[in-house]
Amino acid sequence: MTLLVVEDLHTHFISRDIDNRTRVAKALNGVSFSLDAGRILGIVGETGAGKSLTAQSVVGLLRPPAKVVAGSVKFEGRELTDMPQAELNKIRGAEIAMVVQNPRTSLDPLTRVGDQLVRLHQIHSRGSQADSRKRALEMMEAVGIPDPESRAKSWPHELSGGMAQRVLLAMSLMNAPKLLIADEPTTGLDVTVQAQILDLLRDLVARFNMATMIITHDLGVVAHFCDDIAVMFGGSIVETGPVAEVFAAPLHPYTRNLISATPERFQMGGAKALGGQPPDLFNLPPGCALQSRCAFATDTCRNPVPNIEVTPGHFALCHYAGKLDAEPAIEVRA
Amino acid sequence: MSFQRFIFRRTLMVLPLLIGVVFITFMLVRIGGLDPVGRLAGPTATQAEFDMIRDNLGLDQPLWQQFGIYLGNVVQGDLGESWLSNRPVITDIKERAMVSLELLFWGVGLGALIGIPVGLRAAFRPNGKFDQVTRVLSLLGFSIPTYWLALVMIFVFFYLLGWAPPAIGRMSLLVTPPDAITGSYLIDGLLTANWQAAHSAASHLIMPVICLAIVSAAPIIKQTRAIAIEVLSSDTVRYAHACGLPERQVRKLVLRNSAVPVLTFVGTEVTGLVGTMSLIEYVFAWGGLGQYGLNAIISGDFTAVQGYVLVLALFSVMVFIVIDIVVHLIEPRSELN
Amino acid sequence: MTDATPDTVAPDKAFVAERSRSSQIWNRFIGIVRLSPTAAVGLFIIGVFAVLAVLAPWIMPHDPVAAYTDRVLQAPSAEHWFGTDGNGMDVFSRVIYGARFGFGIAIPAVLLSLVIGVPVGLIAGYRGGMLDEVLMRFFDGLRVFPSIILALAVVAATGQSLINVVLVLGLLDAPVFARVVRAEVLALRSSNFVESAVAAGNPTWRILFVHLLPNAIQGAMAQTAVRAAWAVRISATLAFLGVGIQAPTPEWGAMIRQGAEFMVSGQWWVALYPGLALILMVFGLNLFGDGLRDLMDPRRRTAS
Repeated sequence: MTLLVVEDLHTHFISRDIDNRTRVAKALNGVSFSLDAGRILGIVGETGAGKSLTAQSVVGLLRPPAKVVAGSVKFEGRELTDMPQAELNKIRGAEIAMVVQNPRTSLDPLTRVGDQLVRLHQIHSRGSQADSRKRALEMMEAVGIPDPESRAKSWPHELSGGMAQRVLLAMSLMNAPKLLIADEPTTGLDVTVQAQILDLLRDLVARFNMATMIITHDLGVVAHFCDDIAVMFGGSIVETGPVAEVFAAPLHPYTRNLISATPERFQMGGAKALGGQPPDLFNLPPGCALQSRCAFATDTCRNPVPNIEVTPGHFALCHYAGKLDAEPAIEVRA
Repeated sequence: MSFQRFIFRRTLMVLPLLIGVVFITFMLVRIGGLDPVGRLAGPTATQAEFDMIRDNLGLDQPLWQQFGIYLGNVVQGDLGESWLSNRPVITDIKERAMVSLELLFWGVGLGALIGIPVGLRAAFRPNGKFDQVTRVLSLLGFSIPTYWLALVMIFVFFYLLGWAPPAIGRMSLLVTPPDAITGSYLIDGLLTANWQAAHSAASHLIMPVICLAIVSAAPIIKQTRAIAIEVLSSDTVRYAHACGLPERQVRKLVLRNSAVPVLTFVGTEVTGLVGTMSLIEYVFAWGGLGQYGLNAIISGDFTAVQGYVLVLALFSVMVFIVIDIVVHLIEPRSELN
Repeated sequence: MTDATPDTVAPDKAFVAERSRSSQIWNRFIGIVRLSPTAAVGLFIIGVFAVLAVLAPWIMPHDPVAAYTDRVLQAPSAEHWFGTDGNGMDVFSRVIYGARFGFGIAIPAVLLSLVIGVPVGLIAGYRGGMLDEVLMRFFDGLRVFPSIILALAVVAATGQSLINVVLVLGLLDAPVFARVVRAEVLALRSSNFVESAVAAGNPTWRILFVHLLPNAIQGAMAQTAVRAAWAVRISATLAFLGVGIQAPTPEWGAMIRQGAEFMVSGQWWVALYPGLALILMVFGLNLFGDGLRDLMDPRRRTAS
């Protein structure tokens, strides 16, 4: 069942510089995707590609000067982009839950962990304090926190990174969310802890049948834990599809390079070096944002880029999607 | 860490500061090279009298010896004798300390009471109308000379409107002061049911307190706003928004997380405000420590100056320590808990 | 400030109209004013006072120390816009002339603070160690004393002249700059370009002044206006207490001192106008300093 439909989302940063010129950074350019219950979508991309911004745009957490300027976000049929904050607050933390980076600094340092869980539950439900406390303990158990009774009395700064992240997961589950957004949930954690948290996450998704979106810059995470993948670059989703397919046969030059760059068993080779500067969001070129870095770029790439469905469910935002192996590289760009 | 150990550690850390403070005070009056004896002896003193006084005060000894003696005296509570009043400085100070403390308490208290909520409100809607007006007003507050404000207030409220009593001290000359329990006319008046005294004390307190409150509020508004804005952009608040915390609860969150930095700031501001308070006392002839000290400086009564400056500095240190302790008690992240 | 920034912007055209030179300058001006109206207004106010200070001898209707003994304590009139004081001197002319004292004290005092404070901060931050520790402890010790009292006591003890006031204020404010510069140096000390400069064999003084200084000075520069405001305030306070500057010098603080006794008897103009001038000038400096800090903040406030 499709819970979230994002269509053609455009987010811009609008400001004035010292020369009184209006400067627009086009951070998201026509992002579209959907989330189904029980499936995990992994969104990958380099820094600045727009991953976190997508999540923030979806739930209305953008801060000025960032603004959603076009597009639609429908959650269970309800349009979120023009919803007032007061109404969004009722959905956030309940039906849509977020797990963020930096769990230790995100928790309120002045409140005990258990009380924060209870507070979150109390905001969104009508139960008694006792009910909330019971649920808090249940959720702490569900996320694998040992000895929940005494842990609930801890202060956030007393927790390790992994433990704090588990608490955030418990927080997100308190109000039985239908949609879970995890923004870099394992960055900064120990490698072993990372694996534990991700296993736990996949478990919870299956158990509670949540539609889930994981944002990460780590391809390995996507490869091992996600069902679908969306690769972002320059504010657009350049390729999306089932994980196994995209990894086995990447269609977009950027994805191909990404996969060959990882020390994984997904070595493809063949793709030329694609290093270079991240795109300047204030001055995006017409057509494809990857032009200046892409070995296959031609003049056609200056035209608006089609999103081609090469195989069912597998899309690539490229004029040459599906045709790259037939075309020889025009030139190698440094 | 136990509380006792904490206090012990803190005291150890503050000891060098205290000695340093005494040293700075000691050097302060000897900075000009002007012979501190000159005033004490009076214009008609002979060389022999100069020498005798100098000998009495031990001013012919090497500097470090003088300092040692001074330090020793200070620790025992002996601050020398004022040439203006011919009494021990410590007595002069003891009499006036409560008077200044009363003014400081009300003035800074009122300033914080106004300043903190205003600063918070400005932070919640940054760059909005309220915020812009507040920023200008607070900068204005930084720019107004306290003594001038006091004079203008006296002119408007006493001379023009006749609402306030004349600025000649803490109480009308026609009213007998109440028995001294705390040293504060207002409190003592209330405690002894001397309503006339209490009323007179209160009416005389109003203007200097408002003066001090206005000048205290300016930096408090500015810093509270800055602190609250920092907290608003912290991970904690962002996550709170992501959890759908309603606006009112987010504000409570910001308030609680701003409390400690704001409290610490007010503590550091007290140092400067004590100086401002002294000026206010001077204009209102308040009879407190500030007026005493300013007069001492102007007339060159160097032992009194030493005593005054030392007491002010020690008071500041005490305020820092108290706030430090309070912060450590309420912060879950401190080593105490 | 939210008026003309559009919600959406038309897509980039391949051709962007080039602005003419004068339009560029105008837009840069508007841009700065939009980014920090406080800095702009502050600068304007300072400018007005600067003009008054420089052109004083030509603008003043009367000689500031000319005592018209027949017109003592006259209320403001067409002849004497701000009235006359207890000596029969024209308050308006004295207020205008007083601007010279404001700048004359603040500028040398701040310069002195910079000259002393910046090198101290550079060395303390770079060298670290014992010197740094001792210095910082000393500065911390100073912070416990109210600055007004400190300035007052030292000026009173060292002799009451204008030079002394400037010297004392300059010295007392140096720790502020030292601290700011030191903090920047500490942050920059381990950065790449400093390390490569060291590796290249540059002598310490070169590293300090050629490499570190231009970067570390930013913070100090942002403080200058605010410290100048403080200098003007404190020197007026000293004059008010009769320390440092005496009557009949047309300095604002001294004028307020004179006017104080007349406030209770209704001649408000003697003390009011110099106070207003003082407020305005300090306010202008504070505004400018505040706005400057906003402008230099890397997380620049964008007008959106």
